[in-house]
Amino acid sequence: MASEKPKLEALEEEYAKINKLPRLTKAVEHVDKIIELLSAAREQVASAPESHTAITITKLQNPVKSAFEAVNDGLKGAAAANKKMGKALDKSFPLKPLPTDHDAMADHVSLINRAIAMHLLREGQFKVASTFIDEVQSTTKRENPEYLDERMDDGNYDEAASTTSSEAYDLSSLHSQELQESFAGMYYILQELKARNLMPAITWARKNSVELEARGSNLEFELSRLQFVWLFKGPSVNGLPDDENNGQRGALQYARSNFGRFQARHLNEINQLACSMAFAPNIAESPYRQLFAIDTAFSDVASSFTREFCSLLGLSAESPLYLAATAGALALPQLMKYTQKTLAKGTEWTTSNEMAFETPLPESMLYHSIFVCPVSKEQTTDANPPMMIPCGHVLAKETLQKLCKGARFKCPYCPSEGILKDARQIIL
Amino acid sequence: MADHGASKINHDNHLLLDQPLLRLPYELLRKNIRSAHYHIEWDTNAVKDLLKETATNSINQKASKQDVVNNLDQMLARMRGLKRKLSTYAEEENRLYRQSTARVAHLRELSDVHTVEDVKYEAWSRQRLDRLVVDYMLRHGYNKSANALAEERNMLGLVDIDTFVAMSKIRQSLENGSVQEALVWCNENKKELRKMQSKLEFELRCQQYIELNRSSCPKLEAINHAKKHIMPFSKTYPTEVSHIAGLLAYRADTPHEPYASLYSSARWKKLADLFTDAHLKLLGLPQFPLLHIALSSGLSALKTPACHSSQQNQSHQGQKSHKSATPGPGQGEEQESRSHGTASLQTSVCPICSTELNALARNVPYAHHSKSHLLEHDLMLLPNGRVYGKAQLDEYAEKSRLAAGEVKDLVTGEKFREDELKKVFIT
Repeated sequence: MASEKPKLEALEEEYAKINKLPRLTKAVEHVDKIIELLSAAREQVASAPESHTAITITKLQNPVKSAFEAVNDGLKGAAAANKKMGKALDKSFPLKPLPTDHDAMADHVSLINRAIAMHLLREGQFKVASTFIDEVQSTTKRENPEYLDERMDDGNYDEAASTTSSEAYDLSSLHSQELQESFAGMYYILQELKARNLMPAITWARKNSVELEARGSNLEFELSRLQFVWLFKGPSVNGLPDDENNGQRGALQYARSNFGRFQARHLNEINQLACSMAFAPNIAESPYRQLFAIDTAFSDVASSFTREFCSLLGLSAESPLYLAATAGALALPQLMKYTQKTLAKGTEWTTSNEMAFETPLPESMLYHSIFVCPVSKEQTTDANPPMMIPCGHVLAKETLQKLCKGARFKCPYCPSEGILKDARQIIL
Repeated sequence: MADHGASKINHDNHLLLDQPLLRLPYELLRKNIRSAHYHIEWDTNAVKDLLKETATNSINQKASKQDVVNNLDQMLARMRGLKRKLSTYAEEENRLYRQSTARVAHLRELSDVHTVEDVKYEAWSRQRLDRLVVDYMLRHGYNKSANALAEERNMLGLVDIDTFVAMSKIRQSLENGSVQEALVWCNENKKELRKMQSKLEFELRCQQYIELNRSSCPKLEAINHAKKHIMPFSKTYPTEVSHIAGLLAYRADTPHEPYASLYSSARWKKLADLFTDAHLKLLGLPQFPLLHIALSSGLSALKTPACHSSQQNQSHQGQKSHKSATPGPGQGEEQESRSHGTASLQTSVCPICSTELNALARNVPYAHHSKSHLLEHDLMLLPNGRVYGKAQLDEYAEKSRLAAGEVKDLVTGEKFREDELKKVFIT
């Protein structure tokens, strides 16, 4: 049905039609015709006797006039095509004014610049990033020579106690520096993984094994195990030279020299790998075939490598700028609906602590547990934290205080009673 | 709030940020046709008139054969000029049509994607971010970066570098104290600016007048300029015009207002902003970067009270030190604080907590939720007040090789006996 057709599909069809309409080139053709008429007349006047001039030039009037009309028609045709495009846009892609009366981000250009620079670095766009940083710095210097001394604005950054110095706000700290080097390192390792070379990743994991273990990550072992399997498959699969370092022999040798360090934690897995040797001629039908199915193994370790690498830097695995922009596009309709309705009241949505409306995001974009007090329906915060009462139910602190009669209260969800001092603040 | 509906793409409303992508080439086409129209009219009338005149004169024998040939040559020159100009406009028109078609096709790709989880959506959304970043760079005049990124990502057709570069050239000339380029632009867009009731031309003329007052002592030139270019505005902007008139009596170093601020060099920056405003409005572009809109809406949607909470920060201390302690050597003493650093097992850091956006998100409200949303199930309370899912604790205990019946806090690293744990009920 035509009405069910996606609007952009309709628009695409409309554009295809408009593309066939005459354009300005038509007008150019007619201008050409006038030039022809004029030059023909000029030749005739120049070569014929004087007495013919008046006739030639009079005869020229009408053809030129109609050619000019044709030029005008050509122009009108082009304008009509343009108008059609406008109508198609209005119908299938109607203009919805964006909330542009207030720019909450305008005062934080330096922070946005920093976020963009870091985004470019983590995307591996090192050249673009360095162009960008240079350009930002030369502009800031031009506009405000003392600017660089006072570093980036937003001085109320109140985590002075943490090791992050204000330097983190200065773009120059991103230039040719640790962060860039580490991302360059990450890109190198990822590229090698893509080329099925596990060694750089294994080296990195070994260097950071203490931190990885503390995070409960098995990355180092996963990588080593994959290396074993990869060698085991032999030259016909892995394309490595056919020598004593490859194939089953190579795998065994690799296991001997490397698996020792994993014995305490991964003895089971190592045993499995060792036993599989016995089934070597017929792995595909052995009980160990699962271990050797590595279709997605390389991309799996690549993504867990990225996650661990970024986590050790205190960064999220996915670019925050990407997530924020995507979340922004998803939440924008709600924001617009809200701003339209409150426009009349003149209230500003950015001024309060909490948004006044819900902005549903997909599950994959939720990173913290949210606790909404079942009584007050408020989200818990530092000032109003979640409290667990002796029966195990959780309420917001303010709710609990209101619920109290003297020092005692009754749980709203079960028959048990408690006293205030037995309630415990919890961290979800 | 998370529900399955949330990952579905609402096609009618998902392309709000992408409106300029199609609107701009449409506006540019319109402008292109307008300019073509102007030139056609101008040259057509001139040639028509001359042809008529030549004919009359030739019939009345007032013009010799040579005069007629000369006039015809003149007409030919004009028409050739017109052809040259029209051909450029026709080329530009073709380019804009090609661009529009490509852009519709790019937006249409999204029609086939129905949920956010679709891999195709990620690719599309990444390209959208690239577009937003290029738009941001162009609006701030970081033209080289914009060009580099667009080239690197192979999306020159999806961004409007030329338009913005042309704009930033005029803007820069204003910042450098020249009104000429901006006046030419005003002239090209006279009708539209009048419709918008833009003050730009008036302000530019005033600036010319101010400069004349600044430089010359006999102020005749300034007076003539005012008569010609400023007086026509006296009904529209009576107060400003009276100030302008009064300026004649003051020297550039006057401390008196409003004259001091008229002479002030800060006025150039104001003109530049006024021009940018008018330019964006004329092309139907939003007044500030689209990335700002996306970010302020996105940061809020993602932000939770936990993102800037002091408790969370305790757990982030470790991460912060990681950052300063990035792989470089000689950081051995950091090891201890690192070992219990990162928040929960196998989860990645929240984008708002991540260094890139944390400070920026400080200024926006957090998202509204009407229902609890817990990432873990079977919650257990540790004696230190922290709550984790049972499965999380078990997994971490196993990975940490703890003795049976022991658990370890995922954030602080403290060890507890399982019988010290309490079940938590979230209603």
